Parts: sequence; C-alpha cells; structure tokens
Amino acid sequence: MSVVDAVDGLGTRTRIAAASVGVALLAAVGIALAGHADVLLAVLALLFQKSTLAAALRLSVPIAFAALGGIFAEKSGVINIGLEGLLIVSAFGGVYVTSITGSVWLGLLGGVLASSLLALLFAIVCIEFRADQIIAGLAIWLIALGLAPFASTVVFGSTNASAGATFPGIDQLLANTGIPVVSTTVVAGLEALAGIPFLGALFEASPVVYLMFVAVAASWWTLNRTFFGRWVRASGENPRALDTAGVDVSRVRYAAVILSGVLAGVGGAALSLSLGQFVGNGPTMVNGKGFIAIVTYLLGNYNPIGAMLSTLLFAGLDALQLSLQGQNVLAIPRPLVRTIPYVSVIVVLALFGRTRLPEAAGEHYESGEE
Amino acid sequence: MTEAVRLDSITKRFPGVVANDDVTLSVERGTVHALLGENGAGKTTLMNVLYGLYEPTEGDVYVDGDGLTYDDDGAVADAPRRFDSPGDAIDAGVGMIHQHFMLVDPMTVAENITLGNEPRKWGGLAVDRDASREAVLELSERYGFDVEPDARIEDIGVGVQQRVEILKALYRGAEVLILDEPTAVLTPQEVEDLFDVLEELTDAGKTVIFITHKLGEALEAADEVTVLRDGRNVGTVGTADTTREELAELMVGREVMLETETPPATPGETALSVEGVTAVDDRDVVAVDDVSFSVREGEVFGIAGVDGNGQSELVEVVTGLHSLEEGRVELAGRDVTHASRRERTRAGMAYIPEDRQDRGLVMDFDLTENGVLGSQHDAPFAERGRLDWDRAEGHASEIIEEYDVRPPDADAEAKSLSGGNQQKFIVGREFSREPSCIVASHPTRGVDIGSTEFIHDRLVDLRDEGRAVLLVSSKLDEVRGLSDRLAVMYRGRIVDVVDPDEVTEEQLGLMMAGERPEDVPRAERVADAGPRSRDDADAEVADD
Amino acid sequence: MTDADGGGSDDSVPARLPRDRLFDALDRLVAASATERLFISGSALLLSVAIGFLLILVAGRMTSCGSAAYSVFGVGFCYDPFVVYDSLFLGAFGDFLANPLNGQFATTISETTVLVFTGIAVAVAFKAGVFNIGGQGQLVFGALASALVVYGFSGAVSGLVGTLVLVPLGLAVGAFVGGIWGAIPGALKAYADANEVITTIMLNFVATSFALYLASGPFKAPDSFANQTRTLPEYALFPQPLFPGRTDASLLALALAIAVAVGIAYLLRGTSFGYDVRTSGIQPEAAEYGGVNAARTVVTSMALSGALAGIGGAVYVLTIAGNFQTGVPDYGFDGITVSILAGNNPVGAIAAALLFGVLKSGSIVVDVGTDVPPQLVGVLRGLIVLFVAMPEFFRMIGQRVDVRDRFGGSRDAVATDGGEEA
Repeated sequence: MSVVDAVDGLGTRTRIAAASVGVALLAAVGIALAGHADVLLAVLALLFQKSTLAAALRLSVPIAFAALGGIFAEKSGVINIGLEGLLIVSAFGGVYVTSITGSVWLGLLGGVLASSLLALLFAIVCIEFRADQIIAGLAIWLIALGLAPFASTVVFGSTNASAGATFPGIDQLLANTGIPVVSTTVVAGLEALAGIPFLGALFEASPVVYLMFVAVAASWWTLNRTFFGRWVRASGENPRALDTAGVDVSRVRYAAVILSGVLAGVGGAALSLSLGQFVGNGPTMVNGKGFIAIVTYLLGNYNPIGAMLSTLLFAGLDALQLSLQGQNVLAIPRPLVRTIPYVSVIVVLALFGRTRLPEAAGEHYESGEE
Repeated sequence: MTEAVRLDSITKRFPGVVANDDVTLSVERGTVHALLGENGAGKTTLMNVLYGLYEPTEGDVYVDGDGLTYDDDGAVADAPRRFDSPGDAIDAGVGMIHQHFMLVDPMTVAENITLGNEPRKWGGLAVDRDASREAVLELSERYGFDVEPDARIEDIGVGVQQRVEILKALYRGAEVLILDEPTAVLTPQEVEDLFDVLEELTDAGKTVIFITHKLGEALEAADEVTVLRDGRNVGTVGTADTTREELAELMVGREVMLETETPPATPGETALSVEGVTAVDDRDVVAVDDVSFSVREGEVFGIAGVDGNGQSELVEVVTGLHSLEEGRVELAGRDVTHASRRERTRAGMAYIPEDRQDRGLVMDFDLTENGVLGSQHDAPFAERGRLDWDRAEGHASEIIEEYDVRPPDADAEAKSLSGGNQQKFIVGREFSREPSCIVASHPTRGVDIGSTEFIHDRLVDLRDEGRAVLLVSSKLDEVRGLSDRLAVMYRGRIVDVVDPDEVTEEQLGLMMAGERPEDVPRAERVADAGPRSRDDADAEVADD
Repeated sequence: MTDADGGGSDDSVPARLPRDRLFDALDRLVAASATERLFISGSALLLSVAIGFLLILVAGRMTSCGSAAYSVFGVGFCYDPFVVYDSLFLGAFGDFLANPLNGQFATTISETTVLVFTGIAVAVAFKAGVFNIGGQGQLVFGALASALVVYGFSGAVSGLVGTLVLVPLGLAVGAFVGGIWGAIPGALKAYADANEVITTIMLNFVATSFALYLASGPFKAPDSFANQTRTLPEYALFPQPLFPGRTDASLLALALAIAVAVGIAYLLRGTSFGYDVRTSGIQPEAAEYGGVNAARTVVTSMALSGALAGIGGAVYVLTIAGNFQTGVPDYGFDGITVSILAGNNPVGAIAAALLFGVLKSGSIVVDVGTDVPPQLVGVLRGLIVLFVAMPEFFRMIGQRVDVRDRFGGSRDAVATDGGEEA
C-alpha cells in the first residue's frame, strides 16, 4: 500500500517514467534471476534495434487513437469501455471498403464511418436511455466481436479477409504528390534521415504514424484551448455547472462520444490496412488493444500526450515481445511471451490505478433534476 | 414602487405533491428580499420556476431588472416570461447561486466564470484566455470582490467560491440574483462579508432574492421578507416592522416555544476518550489535527463548528470508519484505536451517521433488512451464519412502533420513506443496541420539527440513563442546547472546550471562525446559569 | 408540517398481515420488480431477435447465391430469416416430440449446464458490486486444472468408485483454481484500486495464453495434432443415465447446476455473508457503516465467483470435452449475458442459461443447415446485453403505449422540491 500511496501524488510524466522504469526493472530482474545475464544483454540490444522502434510505432497507432477517443468520451462523463468494439468494426470496415474501392484512404474513411455509427449507437443508449455505461460499453464490444466476423464471413466467405492494398510508405506518398520540392528534396532528406540507427525508424514510418502524432497534438489543443474542450471537461466534472451556464450537456456528450468513435475508427482502420487484411477469429486482430488503450490514458492521466507516451511503453513491450518470438533470444515458450503486454497492464494498473476519474464520469445526467 | 420580479399566482404540482400553491411574490428593484420558510415549504421550487428549471403548472412570471412597466390601471404591462431553460432566464437577466456551487473544481476562476460564454479568437476556434481574465478582473474590481482569476476552484475557500458564483451570474448580465441558502456553508464572519456584498450589489441597482430558513439572517440582511409555508405565501413583511417571534409563528403556523429547557447532567466515569488523534482526509490533507477530549457517562459532549472543519473525519475515526495517523481512542477504558467497526459496535458504540442515505440506510433494502444493518452477524438475528428474518422483522416492527416511523410497514423500502422517518428509524435502530456510548452526527439535519424534538428528547433521556453521548452538529442552537460541555472545531483542531451556558452565540461564532479563545472576550459570568435552553426555531420541517 | 417528499409517507398503511416466511423469502428473492425485470428481459430479447432478423436480410443482400431463399416485395434475399430462426430456436430441441432424448437436445442440455455456472458466477460478483468479465479465464483454468488432476488420479481408481471419487475431485479442483484466479482481480481491486473490468479482461488473455502453453507443451497429449491434454477415461466423467450413447449431456450435472444456483440464492438472501455481499454491492458506504469489511468482501465474492466459473470449466471437461482442449467456447462471456438477462438473480440465471443453451446448440444447426454464419449468435448476445442495459428505453415505450404506469411511476414521484438538501 505504501508504494501505491507514494506513487499517488506524482505527476503524469513522473508516473509514466516510473511505470516504464518499473516494468523494465521487473523484466530485467526476471531475466537476471533466471541466470541469463547474456540474455539480458541480448534483450537490451533487441530493444534498441531500429526494427523494434519501427514496430513500436506501428503498434502504437490503434492504441493511441483509441486512447485519444477514450479521453474525449470519459472527460465528457461517458466511460467508453467499448473502444475495443470500435476498433474491431473499423478494422473490418476499413478492409471491406478498401476491397471494394481499391483505395486505402476511402477504406480508412469507411472504417471511421463504421466506428462512428457504433459510437453513435453507444451514445444514444447511454445518453438518451440512461444505460449503465460499463454494461453498454461491454455490449458494444460483444456486438462488434460477433458482427465483424459475421460480416466477414458473409462477404468474404471467411472470418479473415484481405483488403488487397495497404498504406503506401511516407516516401512514396510524398513522391506522388507531384509538388517539385516535396517529391524530390524532402523525400531524399527523409531517406537520409532514415539511415540513422534506431531513431531512423521515425523517418520511414507509415503515414498513419504521422497522423497519430498530429492527432495527439490536435487533441491536446482541443481539450485545453478551445471552448469545446472546456465544455467537455466541465461536462465530465460538473455537468450541472455546464447546464446552468446554458450549455446543453447532452449535446456535448454526444459530440465527445462520436468523436471517440471517429478517433478509434482511424485507429482500427489503420490497424487492419497496415497489414492489408482483417483477422476475425477468436478475439480478432484487435486482441485487447482497446482495453490497453483505456489503461494508457488512465496512466497518462487523461492527457493526450501522457497517453501517447504510455502507449509507446505498451507498444514497445509488444514490439519487444514480437522480436523475442521472432528471434528466439529467450528460451521462453511463445504463448508465455505473448502474455507480457497483458501482465504489464495489470501490474501498471495495480501500481498506478488510482487515477482521479472525472467527477461525474459514469453518471447519467438529466437536465432539470434536482 | 418598481418591481423587478413579480410571480403571479404560481402553482407547481408534481405527481402527488403540490409544491407551490397559488404563490404571488413581488420583489422591489434594488432591494434584498428574503424568502423564508422551513425545509419543504416550497422556496426552492418557487425559485426554480423563476430560474427556468421548472415550468409552472399555473401562473405567470414577470421579470425586468430595470423595473416592470405598468399600464394605467396599475396592472403589469410587460409580457409574462416563458422560461424553458435556465438559459432563457439568464438571457432575461436572472442569475441563481445554488446552495451547492455550480463550479468545476479543477478549472480556474476565470474558466468557471466564462464557462458557456467564453470570449473567442481565431474565428471562434480558440478561447481568448487573456480577454476572459481581463473581464473577470474588471468585474471583480467593480464590485470590490477580491478574486484571483487564475486560482483553481479546488484551492480557494468556500466564501471566495461563493463570490465566484456571484461573479458568474454578473458576467452573464444578471440583474436579479437568487441565492439559495447562501449562508449554510459559511462561518459567521463570512456571512457578514456576504451581507456586505449583497449591499454593494443592491447599491448598484441589482435585485437580490435570498432563500433561507434562518430567521435571524432574514431579519438582518433583507429589506422585505416573504414567508412560505406548505407551498403557500403566508405573508410578506418589511424587516423594520416585524419581530423574530412573529416570523417564527408565520413559518411554523403555530406559536413556537423558541426555548425549551434541558435539566443539568450528572456525569459519571469516562466512557469515551480520544487522545492526540490526527487523521488525513481523502486528499491526504490533515483534517483532524491532534485532537483530544473525553466523554463521560451521563453527559452530552458537543462539537460545534462550520461544516468541513474535520468533524466528519473525527467522527469516523471514533466510529472506526476512517483510519488515523496518530493517537488513541478508548471505549470504556478499552483501547479500540485499531478495532474494526464491527468490534466497536459490539463493544457498545452506537452511531447515527451524518449522511443517512449514504451510510445509515441501504436505500434499496426494506426496513426489515435495514433493521439488522450492523448486527447482521450477531445474535439474536444471526445464528451460525444464518439470518433469522422473522426475528429481524419483529425487530423492525418494534422500532417502527416505538419511534413512530411512517408508513408503519417493515416491508417498505428505505428510499420510500421521508427523510425524517428515515432518521427516526436509524435513531431507533441505534438506540435499540443498548449502547454505552452514542455518537450522533448532525442527528436532526433535514429532519422535520416534530422529529427533531423527539430525537432531542431521546438523546437527553439516554444521557439521563447514564450513557455517554458525543454530539456533532453545525446547528449552533442544537449543540448549545443539548451539550453539557461544548468543543468548537476549526481547521481540524479543537479551539476550546467551553461550558455552553457561559458563552454567547457571538463568542461561539468567533471561535468557529478560528479566533483563539484568549482573543475572544469572555462573557460576563451569567449570575443564574440555571437550566439551559435550546432554540428550535431553526429546526427544519420535513426535508429532502 | 409538510411532506414534499412525494413518498406519501405520512399516509398510514395498514400493518401487513403475517405471511408465510417462505413465500416472503421467495418474494424478496425475485425482488419487488420481478414483473418489470421480466418485461425488460423479454423485450430486450424480442428486440434483439428483430434486429437480428434485419441483419440476416441485409447479409442476404450482401452475399451472392443462385436463387433467392426468401423474397419479400419482390426483393430476393439469399438467407431466409424464418428458416434461420427456426433452426436456431427449434433446432436446439431436435425432434423433441418423437424422441425427447435426441442428440441435439442433449447438446442443448450440456451447454445450458455450463452456462448456469458461468451465469451465477457473474451474478455473485455483480451482487457484490464487482463486474467479473474474467469468467472465461477462470473457466479455462478450472477446466485445465480439473482435466490434469483427474487424469493424474484416474489410474488409481476405476469403475463406479472412480466416478464417485474423480468427479467430485475434478469439481473441487476446478473450483479451487478458478477461485484463486478470480481472487486475484478481487484483491487488486480491493487493495490497489485497480479497475476489475480491465484486470479481468487482461487475465482472460493471460489464462488463454498460459493454457495454450500448457496444453501444447508440457501436458500435451502425445500422438495428438491438436493442442489438448490426454483424454479422461469414461468412468472419470459425469454419469449420463438418460442419454444413451452420449457422454456430454448429463442430467446429473444439470441437477447439480440447478442445486448450486438455488444454494447461491439462499446464500445471498439467507445468510450473514450474503447480507454483507449484497450490502457492499448496492451501497458500499452503508456496508462499511454496517461493519462489513469491504475489501475482504470483494475478495471473497470474487473468489466465489471464480470458483463457480471454475466448476463450470470442470463440468465442461467432465461432460462435453472429456479432456482439455484449447479454443474453449465463450462460456465466460455468455455468462455475463446470462447474468445480465436474469437481472443477476441466480435462480433466474437458470432460465437465461437455458435460453443461451438453446442459442448455442441452435447455432450449430444454423451452421450445418443454412449458409448464415453462426457468428450471428454472437451479435445477438451483444444486442441482448445492450438492450438489457437500457431499461429506460423500455420504460419509455411502456409509458408511451401506456402498458402499465408502474414502470415510470416510481421515478417521477421523487422529482419534487427536494428541500434544502437537494
């Protein structure tokens, strides 16, 4: 308990730093205890490979977008535990539309549309019909978990589906713009920068990775500098204050929840379209990323930038896990390696779980009620 | 006379209840008008009608901050207002300061004041933070308020928060300000400051309506007083032409004995002792700071203070619901510092909690089930882990009968009872434990006057039976009237323990505001200290 | 003196005549709003079925087929919703009139049995105010442990004695392991404030991966391509007196499930422990006041919940599976739906479990008999949870159609002045 108490007073940045160090130490101690100092070194080397960073960035995209969506919804007072479901439908929607139109960008739009519609349903159920947000969010997940493979089987004859296209590289994208300087000099510059060890991965990532960074910055700005952001925060902290100030709380919450659908939609479509396919068996290709997203924004204290950093932490773990599986550095069986991100979520939540929720989060608000 | 507000024959019905019955209210521009009545008299409903939160079932609302206009016959020429929402009322220049502040704690003063009406820049995209800060500073200077625009609400005091609420209304162009029980959370000094602010506002031509159930405050701050009873206007009087007694009679509808007598106590052994207790609140701020006192058998030990000065935490430390950092609690000589809640109950401690709907009763349970709350593992209700519901029902029925709980139905869910009846049931249950020590926290808050008298009498009876009573209340009259010794708490510390017969209300008020006892001029020793009195006039009728 | 409370509390109500305590207890068990509950669950079910109907039609337009299976207003659809629902609901009973002990009905029975356990597992946690989404993981571990331990001891005994020893052993092991796996998120919630929704979901992933590791590695059945443990001998399984030739459907197991559900209902209603659980579930503040150790109650009820799910896993192994195989069906998640549909009432969970047993069994008939993907049942599951979560919707409909005033009455009555404390 004392650890928890001590950690409680820390700021967002410190929390994430502490969490990272904690997870790293835990892993290091685990390996060291197993008596494999050489393995520890190998793991460290793996951690600082360019390919690991590249994978971490790629894996961050769905989590970060879902987390941003979750922040808006929860800040407005609607706990959106259905993010996982939003990711699932948009992952399928993206592949479906791409397979029809041949354009990943239209596919991205299709994913966003699918996710936004489901988010709208969630919003109506929670705001209009006073549903229990947690149960309704769970229902959204369950619906998506059934609907996406169902639709995939109907359309593609299998729970797995191929989009037939993936996102172009950033260099390709810029080269095709046709703008003289951009298509030549900038591309050349990027290629040179991509040669840097480790950090070079930042310069040859998928366009959605850059979109993610833009979305993080835009979300922060929206929350903290615009009237909409203020209303969202007030709606989650003291909806009555907002109501008596003449702002319609329901509308703010609708906007925030639908925005969470849009953001999660980008994440889900980016997930499937980066691979060019949808995998719909079992827990689907989303595989808990929506739930991890919730933990990242809790750990990031509802700050988009904090959420991004903690996303990188979890995605980094996942990337490392993938590299470990691929390169057989550790003599640990793959199914066990695969549990690393999930176990670290639990550890992080147990150590840093005491986030202060927005005062009115989870509560239905009815104007005019005393 | 120029009216700023006229409510004409307002009736507001809710399913099964008439909250306002043909109420007419007229408020002159530039004055303070008190709306006086006991809880449930319909004051808040009436003001919610004026503020657009409720639509009246019948009747018309006229508002004009600059004064209504009249036709030749003296009838109001303005069109009646139809407020569909507070937004409409705000547009018409009506602002309301609720009892529970409508402020967003983690946001700043300026953010709160401009919420919903933010000055914008960049084509409306961004909030112009400099402009809103300046607007707040300008307003605050104009009315002589001292607020810091960049302070966070959670970091400023209650009195300042209230001023922020007033500024919020003024920022929206309010000409008519409604204040709902504005003094409930303030220290006597802060109350004085508030009344100065109200004067400042009326001097500037604003009109103030101020809801209260406290006679003294209505008399002190208002120009006119309208008394509501049972949802009806029973009279409007100028404060210059009336007396406390007249107002009390109007409020209650019968002649009120403002003072009742309590015979002196004959205390025995120490039953409860608290030594050097320090505890922190949920935010890790020290709430109880090195508090020591003891309560003897056959005495009522009172703790007075403005809400939020550590009384709640202290009570919960004593009853085993809050952990302490340091100190020691003893019950009948036995150390119970680390004893669980259940152990303390078994050791003879009864507890009437401050919040009956959160703590004292399980609202979805019926009275049979609520009757065993706290004894669910003990004989005679439980035997080897099995509950005897027959016995439990009998027990509940006994409490219902003895304490006149209505409806007299053990199967009724707790939430279906009125506040007074809920409280009577809790009191009955706790007293039926045959406790040696009773901790009563705000035992009559929101309870009707009949139940209040009843609960007071029972507390005194128990005291006379030789039990120890620890009484915490923010009602000065209640603690003064019932206590044999009285402690005043301020910011987590006990300022002093006094004999309630030997201090005046003013001295207590100063102590509640944290004045050290040596700074408080001691009262001349009253020659005939005789039986003390308690003032039931501020007891509340019915409730939530 | 006025009473603006709206409760009409000063009207004197004649004292209730003493009634039979048994009826009284039953009354409370089903809760005061049983009719309302039933109405909401029934409506949610109907509405989900209706949306599913549309979904089948839409899906039928999105796929291609030779000739339309169903036409309405001249528009052809590849899937016929009536056939689908007929297979789904009636298919589960097989040719019931001719042979009540037919194979399809046996499947329905066996599915129902496991679902009763996962349903009451979720219900118990819900009653304690904890949302246990980890039933799946608890069931998986319970099943795995049960399969391994029973196999380990199956050499020592055999025949009827074997059954008498091994089946209870398997159930006990399942309960124990499931209980521990359930107690973990309970303890994390109680002592570290970690949200149980997230931790239980994460523990599901961990359990599935870990079980995969064990069933594909150390405990893999030799000579098997699938990831599964060794097959248990028949005497180690639940006896199945009525269904000849079937090892999966056991009325004994079903009877046990029903007995446990009734037992849990009594535990919640008739004991001090149950009182503590229910109190901390609906009003933790009051529970603390009443001397309930909130943290301990959370841990015990999660352990109990996990144990019930674990027993469900053991029953799955000892009836349906006969060993542990990876890819355990979603009983844990269905348990959530069962519990929510039953209003978290353990006895009601029996009926809800039967409904889902029918759906699960019927989805096999759908899969075999039609071209409609069986994932349809998954969608229905989600829709039912969604609709049950929004009772207000049905109240509004109820009010609009003016079916019964009582669905809205209680809420409106409190909207009064609120006095000064509001």
